[in-house]
Amino acid sequence: MPAGSMIVLERVSHVFDGRSGLVPALDGIDLEVGEREFVAVIGRSGCGKSTLLRIVAGLLAPTEGRVLVGGEPVSRPRRDVSVMFQRPGLLPWRSVLANVLLPAEVLGLDRRRHTARAHELLELAGLRGFADRLPHELSGGMQQRVSLCRSLIQNPAVMLMDEPFSALDALTRTELSVELQRIWLEHARTIVFVTHSVEEAVVLADRVVVLTPRPGRLRKIVDVGIPRPRTIHAPEVAAVSGVLHELLEVAV
Amino acid sequence: MSRAPKRRARRVATVVLPVLGLLAVIALWWLATVFFSIEEFLLPGPADVLAAFGEYPVYLLEHTWVTLVETVQGFGLSIVVGVPIALLIVSSTILERMIYPLLLALNAVPKIAVAPILVVWMGFGPAPKILLVFLVCFFPVVISTASGLKSTPAELVELMRSLDCTRRQEFVKLRFHHALPQIFVGLKVAISLAVIGAVIAEFVGASAGLGYVIVASGASADTALAFAAMGLLGLMSIVLFYGLVYLEHRLLPWAG
Repeated sequence: MPAGSMIVLERVSHVFDGRSGLVPALDGIDLEVGEREFVAVIGRSGCGKSTLLRIVAGLLAPTEGRVLVGGEPVSRPRRDVSVMFQRPGLLPWRSVLANVLLPAEVLGLDRRRHTARAHELLELAGLRGFADRLPHELSGGMQQRVSLCRSLIQNPAVMLMDEPFSALDALTRTELSVELQRIWLEHARTIVFVTHSVEEAVVLADRVVVLTPRPGRLRKIVDVGIPRPRTIHAPEVAAVSGVLHELLEVAV
Repeated sequence: MSRAPKRRARRVATVVLPVLGLLAVIALWWLATVFFSIEEFLLPGPADVLAAFGEYPVYLLEHTWVTLVETVQGFGLSIVVGVPIALLIVSSTILERMIYPLLLALNAVPKIAVAPILVVWMGFGPAPKILLVFLVCFFPVVISTASGLKSTPAELVELMRSLDCTRRQEFVKLRFHHALPQIFVGLKVAISLAVIGAVIAEFVGASAGLGYVIVASGASADTALAFAAMGLLGLMSIVLFYGLVYLEHRLLPWAG
């Protein structure tokens, strides 16, 4: 693990108080994520991976255990942590540029500097010339790129991504994961990336955390250890993916 | 055929077809009065109505202006009061439980029953008319605003929360904007009721306005003049309604 732990989860458990009684979602998760480390979390649906992310984001308080980010216990969303969701979640009345600037606005950051930065990010994401468009004029893939720019605008130390590419078609999906890899290589930061695609996890992450379903328990943490840049077709990627697929299939 | 002429043809159709329908109805009306030789004081023909308008254009327009001003003021008041009340309802369950049944009860009272009391309280001037328009418009404005403010998608709320936004920011930057298309639905319902409210109040006691013109012309059996006044009321409703539609398109291009 690289120097210092950015995120620490200590015996984190969560139980939902559902209509048909208590539903355990996460059970005693211990995990450390190093500074500038890229960790992917995979598991079948219902393994609580999104819950885990919301707890780290400070959007949800765990029933038991605690989370530290940058050495401080998390009790509410932090300014230096950004979250990207499965759906783009753009505000339909705001232009692309204004959407990217939303976090800067809410956090009260310098407007001029961040407008320049937003243009840079849009250019980086291949959205040059789209700054003044409205979201509904963009394709799903482009909208998710805008969402990616938005989650980068405040230059967060930690990015939490909840299946950000899973609503996209296969081609766009591969394209975006290549882009995310490039962005991360240019400017490494701590990323926790939840996905149900094993190959996506292997291409992107330093380590892959496998959760078991119902309730989510830590099954195994796999070091990927393949030199970057990686492609989805590389034989090494296929090899590690095979191991992970097996882990996901075998019942505990 | 390329796309542009097609679109133009469609646009022409949206204007031409309603006009054609209107002309057909007027023709039928005219035919009925001629064919059954109906007395003018019972059902004046289109020509009589037009003649009535030609005879008193200034008089009619003056009264149109009075009704229009009452309508717009009452409508404006319903927005100024209704939107903040909707905000209160949405912001707290306790307030919602306190205010909501009251609103329902208020709306359940037939406005026509309230009109005479308003005149007793406020006299024959514009005040009771404005208030009645307000009462008619108030409910749809509050309901649509409240339901609009409540219908914010959970994912957008979560996004705002992940930025640790204040409650105020959540309202101003997210909920209110997102509610605007629904608020406009309520405004469009309200504006089409507003003119009715103004006329009802004028019926009960007024010395000006198109409602007053209708009552006065009825007393002198000048049915053609009453019809001219009704035509102007209809026109006013339509203009106000499409004015709002236009405003909506300009303000909310994203909500198509």
